[in-house]
Amino acid sequence: MELLRQTAWLLWKDLLLELRRRESLLAMFFFGVLLLFVFNFAFEIPREKAAEMAAGLLWLAFIFTGTLGLAQLYQAERENHCLEALLLSPVDRGALYLAKVSFNLLLMLPVEMVVFPLFWMLFNLEAWNLLLPLFLVAFLGTIGFCAVGTLFSAVTLRARARELLLPLVIFPLMIPLILATIRAMEIVLRTGGFEEASSWLRLLIGFDVIFLTAGFLIFEWVIEA
Amino acid sequence: MRVVVDRLSKAYGYVWALKDITLELRPGECVALLGPNGAGKTTLLKLLSALLAPTQGEITLDGERLQTNSPRLRSLVGFLSPQDHVYDGLTASENLRLFTSLYGKGKNRAETEKHLEIVGLKNWADQYVGSLSTDMKCRLIIAKWLLLEPRLMLLDEPYGVLDGSGVGLLESYLRNLTSGGGVALIATHHVQRALRLCSRAIILDHGRLIFDEPKQEPWESFQRAFENFAPREERWNY
Amino acid sequence: MAWAEKQKGRRGRMILGGLALVFILAGLYFALIQAPPDAYQGEVQRIMYLHIPSILTAYLSFFIVFVGSSLFLWKREKRDDILAYAGAEIGVLFTGLTIVEGSIWGKPTWGVWWTWDARLTLTAILLLIFVGYLMLRSLIEDEDRSAVCGAVLGIIGFLDIPLIHMSVYWWRTLHQAPSILRPDKLPWENVHPSMLIALSINFLAFLLLYFYFLSLRIHVGEMQEEVKRIKLYGVV
Repeated sequence: MELLRQTAWLLWKDLLLELRRRESLLAMFFFGVLLLFVFNFAFEIPREKAAEMAAGLLWLAFIFTGTLGLAQLYQAERENHCLEALLLSPVDRGALYLAKVSFNLLLMLPVEMVVFPLFWMLFNLEAWNLLLPLFLVAFLGTIGFCAVGTLFSAVTLRARARELLLPLVIFPLMIPLILATIRAMEIVLRTGGFEEASSWLRLLIGFDVIFLTAGFLIFEWVIEA
Repeated sequence: MRVVVDRLSKAYGYVWALKDITLELRPGECVALLGPNGAGKTTLLKLLSALLAPTQGEITLDGERLQTNSPRLRSLVGFLSPQDHVYDGLTASENLRLFTSLYGKGKNRAETEKHLEIVGLKNWADQYVGSLSTDMKCRLIIAKWLLLEPRLMLLDEPYGVLDGSGVGLLESYLRNLTSGGGVALIATHHVQRALRLCSRAIILDHGRLIFDEPKQEPWESFQRAFENFAPREERWNY
Repeated sequence: MAWAEKQKGRRGRMILGGLALVFILAGLYFALIQAPPDAYQGEVQRIMYLHIPSILTAYLSFFIVFVGSSLFLWKREKRDDILAYAGAEIGVLFTGLTIVEGSIWGKPTWGVWWTWDARLTLTAILLLIFVGYLMLRSLIEDEDRSAVCGAVLGIIGFLDIPLIHMSVYWWRTLHQAPSILRPDKLPWENVHPSMLIALSINFLAFLLLYFYFLSLRIHVGEMQEEVKRIKLYGVV
């Protein structure tokens, strides 16, 4: 209906702008890869331990990369006061939220899809068949990250020390997300299946649903030119 | 469109940007909003477009109270600020298609091109807005509002960037709007040009309304009120 | 604010403060002198008489931030925002206190200053959220926007608490071997009655102290609002 149509148009606009300028996507991708390198130097990861540590390292890399992406999320609206233009229009604020969450998701997912296999190659891991289930878990985690991050990126839009404040505020809130995603990924790597991870996955889905809903409802109070 | 403003006030922290503004804009009026920098003109325009919420007082459009949360009323209000509210990274045509869809008035390519032709931008339909000149950007914005058909048009310093034919374009648009019962409110420093078009002048100073009269001849009261603010070169010559 | 109301408020706060002081002194007496030392942990267990009430006030504080935030977003009355902010400030104090007390207890008992057990971790996360709230409020310059944004964080943070609880507890129970010393054993199972009395008195003492501090902070907030009102509208 109307809400979805508006969301679609707003998402179209963001995607078009990003595809033409490629500011965020490339930077995020290279930053993710860079982090993997830095982790390797920082943690001395021997081959046997790489599988164990994979979940934690990967998800950590995505969280930091994602936080960079969040700072850029409203960049398109900064020029020419375009945020004002959107707020002037009769567009539902919730549509704006959904469009930004989707956009954020569409930025992070390609980065994850490339960094995962890259990690496997860099650390000579073997369980290639587990990449898909791992990626599914990461997808659920990314949804929650985008839901919370998009909301608070708008909250801190005009705050001072914005780049420091945003992670300071969202990281404690995302601890359930971080724990659940990493634990579930570890279990998948260890056992090859989802059964043992079911309670973590349920927590993850619960987190996603609660914060997408809360963000959608609260966004209109938070977004201001 | 009838706009009623009742004791409107806006405070930022400990300072009043606007205090006790009461006025009424009647259908078909084109009003010049004048005053020195910092008088509160832009604040008033932002309150009228629901971009800001008042600290006190209220605004009514056609009898309905304006709140930041009234999408239907928002679709009736236009805000023209040259250079603003278009995406540099999209083409002229894409900008028009985006905004008409967001306002629920989705137009296809043919219609947007027709309007681009009206404003003289036919050959720039597929150019990125970032590469347009300031005058052309302003024309695009006029095309946008032509398509969106607001009933209350708020303009913030439109005269600075337009050349002669651009001004003519803007003025014919505003004349059409007002003859159809719509209202235009132009905040500007270009007093002479504005008063050619407008039928009424409002002056704000330090957040207060100090002058509000329909145009008349001679207009000594206006000259007296205005003398305090006019920069030398903008002294209004009657 | 009318003069009579101000006086009533002042008297109310003084009574609250007086009561708090009385109960704290009584509580200290019972905790340090009257109650017997714990059979296993010895004297160091006495800090539990402070630690357990202060955990509860920390969580109560979070609830107050939630209530203030929700009321404020609903009704937009400044006094609800003052309540939320006061709750956060005093909450930081009591949460920090809880962590320090837990750490002091932990050193002689477990031999370490910090352990990642569920309760300590949860309390630390709570502290981080409170700190995030205060930083957010102070870094947003426009006061009205700061109030709205703070309220959003207050509500979202509260909604998150059960999820944080679950995830941290699951994480801990899957990883840690059971320990002989059970720091989260609540003392009202088969305990000496005077330990129970000591705990109850201290519990009441902390509540009173908490509400006393809260009332002081709310008073400060109301005075700040008064100053703003006078600057904008002049003295009435």
